[in-house]
Amino acid sequence: MILVNKDTKVIVQGATGKMGSAHTKRMIEYGTKIVGGVTPGRGGSDIHGLPVFDTVAEAVQKTGATCSVIFVPPYLALDAGYEALSGGVTLLVLITEGMPPQDTAKLVAAVKAKGAKLIGPNCPGIITPGESLIGILPGSIFKSGPVGMVSKSGTLTYEIGLALTDAGQGQSTCVGVGGDPIKGLEYPEVLQMFENDPQTEVIVLIGEIGGNAEEEAAVFIKKNIKKPVIAYIAGQTAPPGKRMGHAGAIVSGGKGTAQSKVEAFEAAGVKVAKTPNEVAQKVGEARKTLTRA
Amino acid sequence: MAVRSARSDGTARPESVIGRATAERREDWTLDLYEYEAKRIFQDHGITVPPSVRITKPEELRKVHLGWPLTLKCQVLSGGRGKAGGIKFPKDLKEGEAIAKDLLALTIKGSKTESLLVEPRLSIARELYLAVVLDRAAGCPIFIASAEGGVEIESSHNVVTMPIPYPFHPFVGRELAQKLGLSGSLLTKVADVANKLYKLFESKDLDLAEINPLVITEGEDVIALDGKITVNDDSIHRQKYFEGWQEKHVSDLSHLEQRAKLADLNLVELDGNIGILCNGAGLTMATMDMVKAFGGEPGNFLDVGGGGDQKKTLTALEIVNENPKVQVILLNILGGITACDEVAGALVEFMAAHPERTMIVRLRGNNQDKAEQMLAKSGLKLFPDLEEAVKEAVAKSKVKQPVGAKA
Repeated sequence: MILVNKDTKVIVQGATGKMGSAHTKRMIEYGTKIVGGVTPGRGGSDIHGLPVFDTVAEAVQKTGATCSVIFVPPYLALDAGYEALSGGVTLLVLITEGMPPQDTAKLVAAVKAKGAKLIGPNCPGIITPGESLIGILPGSIFKSGPVGMVSKSGTLTYEIGLALTDAGQGQSTCVGVGGDPIKGLEYPEVLQMFENDPQTEVIVLIGEIGGNAEEEAAVFIKKNIKKPVIAYIAGQTAPPGKRMGHAGAIVSGGKGTAQSKVEAFEAAGVKVAKTPNEVAQKVGEARKTLTRA
Repeated sequence: MAVRSARSDGTARPESVIGRATAERREDWTLDLYEYEAKRIFQDHGITVPPSVRITKPEELRKVHLGWPLTLKCQVLSGGRGKAGGIKFPKDLKEGEAIAKDLLALTIKGSKTESLLVEPRLSIARELYLAVVLDRAAGCPIFIASAEGGVEIESSHNVVTMPIPYPFHPFVGRELAQKLGLSGSLLTKVADVANKLYKLFESKDLDLAEINPLVITEGEDVIALDGKITVNDDSIHRQKYFEGWQEKHVSDLSHLEQRAKLADLNLVELDGNIGILCNGAGLTMATMDMVKAFGGEPGNFLDVGGGGDQKKTLTALEIVNENPKVQVILLNILGGITACDEVAGALVEFMAAHPERTMIVRLRGNNQDKAEQMLAKSGLKLFPDLEEAVKEAVAKSKVKQPVGAKA
C-alpha cells in the first residue's frame, strides 16, 4: 500500500456541507481514521460524533492529523489548501471540481515548496482497501490485493476496480489523481511509489485523451519501473476539438490522441487493454507470468 | 512547442494559439473575446493600444477623425481574418464606406462580422509576439514571446518561453525582454508591457492573453496592435467584468449543447443512434469507446458529472431524448458521489413520460439496493455488468424502429 493506511489520521475541510457531511459519514463507516472536521464558525460543534474545529491549525494540533480531505466550493479551494499546508498537513486530498486552474497552479507550487503532497483537484481521492478510504470512492467495490492503480478518472476507476475485484484481483492502493490539466501528484510520482511498495505486484494506469502525461508516463516507466504495467486509455473514439467532460480531455491540433498514447505505452512494454474487463484479464496474465518467473 | 498559423495581418485567432495549454482548450467552449474587447482590457491595464473607433454601420465612418488612410478590421471570433479579406486599408471616406459595407457583411469561417474596428495606420519599425498562457507541462503560467511577431510567426526560430513562478516579480519581464535581444529603453518598455500582460492574465482569470503583433513604432512607442483573450471557463463566475458575456460569445455550440451547458452538463453531439448518459468524463468516454468497439454508433457523449441529483439526471435524460437520431438510451451510472436512488427517481419519472423509449440501464454503487427497489416496479431490467449492457444497447440499436425520438 502507498500514501495511506489504517493509521492515517484524517480531517475533513468542509465536513458540515451537504457533500462533505455525507462522505464523512461514509468514510467513518468504512473505517477511515477520521479525527475531526473543519468549518469556520462551527468550531465546538460535532459531526457524526467527531469534533468540528474552526481552523485547520487547531484541528491538527488537537488531533495529530496528517491528512486533510477537502470538500469546499471551487473558489474557496485555494484558501483551504493554503490553510491545510500552513496547519501542518502533509497530504492534501482535494475533491473539489471546477477549481480555477491559476489557483491550482498556485497551490501546487506551495505544496512543492513545503514538501507536502497533493492529490487532485477534481479527483475521487484515494483508497487502500480494508484500511483507509479518503474521498468519494465507493468502498464496497475495492478489495485488498496486489494491484496498484493510478487514474485520472473517478467513475472509470470504480468501473475498472469493479472488473479487477470481480476477477479476484484485489488492490494495494488506488489513487485518483484527477482530470484537471494542472494537478498535484502526477503519474510518475505514483508509479515510483508503487514500484517501491512490496505489496504491489502489478500496476494499472488509467489515462485519457488530451495532454501528454501518458506519453511522459510511458517514458518514465521504461526507465524506472520494473513491475508490469497495464494501461487503459479512455476516449479512443472521441472526436477532435471537443472537450470530453474533463478540462484536460481534448484532442486538439492532432495532439493528445489515444493513438499516440497507446503507441508510447506499447513502445515502453506496457500492455494496453481495450475494455475494463480486459484490464482485469491482462492483470491476471501478468501475475501468472510473475509466479512462473 | 509548435507555432501554428501564419497570418498576413498579424491577427491572432483561435488557431494561432501557440502554447500547449491553450491549444488543448476547447474552442467551442471557452470564452474568446473580440479584438476590441481584448484591447479595452489591455488599455485598462496600462498597455498602449492604437486610438480606435468601433462601428456597426458604414456611415458611422463620417464621424471618425483619425485621418486617412485608415485600417478597417472585421471583428470576428474565427481565425484567418487577414487571409479571408477581413482587413482593408481604404484611402478616403468614399472608398471607406464602400469597403465597410462589404466587410460588415462578411462571414469568416462561420463567424459573422460583429462590427468593424477602425484605426489609423501606424508607422511600424518592428513587430514582436507576446503571450501569457497557463502551461500544463510547466504547471504554471508562462510567457511565450518572439522577436519576429506578427507576420509569419509560424516560421520564427526565435520563440522564447519563460515560466512565471509564484509569487510574481517584475524582473521576469525584464529577463524575457533580454532574451528577446532587446536593450536600452526598449528593454524596459517591452518588459513593462509583458508584466502588465501577466497582471491582467492573473487578475482576469484568463487562459490566454496574447498580443500579436506588439509593434514598436518609429518613435519607439510600444503598442498592442492586435490581441486575443480567452477567459477561463471555470473562473468566469467570479469575474464580474465578464458577467453575461458567455451567451453573446458562445456561438458554435448546437442548440442542445447550449442547453446542456446551461444545465451544467457536458454534452457532445455525435452521429450515431445510441444516446449515452453516464456520470464522470472517463466513464462516459469508456462507455462510448465500448459502444463503438461492439459495433454500435454513439449518438452523443453526455457526462452528468459528479453528484447529479434527480432533477439534473432527468434534464440529462430529456436532452438525450430530444436528439431525433437517438434510438436507444444507454445509461451507465456508477454511484460514488452520485447516489443511485437519485438516478432511479429520475428514471421512474422519465419512463412515465416516455414509455416508448428503449432504455438500457446499468446502475451500481452507493444506495444501489434502494434504487433497485424503486425500479423493480417499473419492469426495467438492470444490467450489473457494463459489457452486457453495451452489447444489449448495440443489439437494440440495430433493430429497425418506426418510432423516432418524439413518438
